Amino acid sequence: MKILVIHAHPHQQSFNSALCDNVLRGLASGDHDVRIRKLNAENFDPCLSAEEWRAHLDPPETKPQLASHFDDLRWCEALVFVYPTWWGAQPAIIKGWMDRVLAHGVAWDLPDGANRLRPLLHNVRRIVTVTTYGSKWRVNAIQGVPGRRIINRSLRIICHPRCRTKWIAFYGTDSSTARQREVFSQRVETYFSKL
Amino acid sequence: MNVLIVHAHPIPESFNHAIVAAARRGLEAAQHTVTTLDLYALGYQAVMSDDEWQAYESLSPVRDPMVAEHVELVRSSQAIVFIYPTWWSAMPAIMRGWMERTMLMGVAFDLNESRRKLIPRLTQVRHLIGVSTHGSPWWYVKLVNDNGRRMISRTLRFNTGLRTKVSWHALYALDRRSPQKREKFLMRIESEMRNLR
Repeated sequence: MKILVIHAHPHQQSFNSALCDNVLRGLASGDHDVRIRKLNAENFDPCLSAEEWRAHLDPPETKPQLASHFDDLRWCEALVFVYPTWWGAQPAIIKGWMDRVLAHGVAWDLPDGANRLRPLLHNVRRIVTVTTYGSKWRVNAIQGVPGRRIINRSLRIICHPRCRTKWIAFYGTDSSTARQREVFSQRVETYFSKL
Repeated sequence: MNVLIVHAHPIPESFNHAIVAAARRGLEAAQHTVTTLDLYALGYQAVMSDDEWQAYESLSPVRDPMVAEHVELVRSSQAIVFIYPTWWSAMPAIMRGWMERTMLMGVAFDLNESRRKLIPRLTQVRHLIGVSTHGSPWWYVKLVNDNGRRMISRTLRFNTGLRTKVSWHALYALDRRSPQKREKFLMRIESEMRNLR
């Protein structure tokens, strides 16, 4: 399978960055083509600029600065996100990747007179998210799990109609033990080795 | 009352900027002290740096003079108003980044000894107000969940006092709204702000 991994964490030695390595190790044991985008490492600019906003209905060829991201997105069959959950959802850099890369002509189309988007990401049949929460599961449940809904609904809707989603989350990182983190890392690696 | 308006829209002549102007008019008519943070105009740096992440739990988590200024504004505000366009069911990345970098541990919250419980630090904030415009119609927003709203009215709300009021104003299917409807929305925002107590 063609897999695009999107990772975001400012610190290279963090638990979250280690989880990304677990994902890649797991995937390496299968027969996959993997592309990885480490958004913090490549200094991705998450802010949709005024020019991009004005050009948001223009074809993707007019945005050469995003061409490699468009190419990855059109190429992949599975999207894997690895990021820490901050304030209930994705860090700004991932949200910015969505704001800028899920562009007209690549991810969606808006025919004349339509009041909502028509999906274009029919190549994406699977979305897997690996994330770490500082707080407990129930706290996030009360908050209405915004991060999960952004990916599993808002993004899922523009993918293949039968696209499957999987949510792999580690809760209570703030109060977790090394042993719990180790078990979770193993679980992540095993999951991706069987993908 | 000190009111902080945080807003994010890249285009100065956008409808979102008209909302900010209407909100300011209402608040100033009610004699409130208003500070506006136009994140795009400030050229706000949205990504938390490695340095900031490593300093997150230290005694001096603020590394950037602009963030220091915003932290002081948040601490002295009794109302925070968020004005933004909803993109992919949440606020633009630049506003997400503002929340991450400003609402730090020791500013918005603290953790107790066992690190299991959050202690709110924004107890002086009496009002959290959100104003957002959606390209999608109401039913679509409900279907995918209004995640930007959840992040403010619940996630951020957990860091404020028990009596903090949340109010929300949204304009759906913006592209198909007539100028009259838009004008009416602006008037509604202005009068809501004028009646803020």
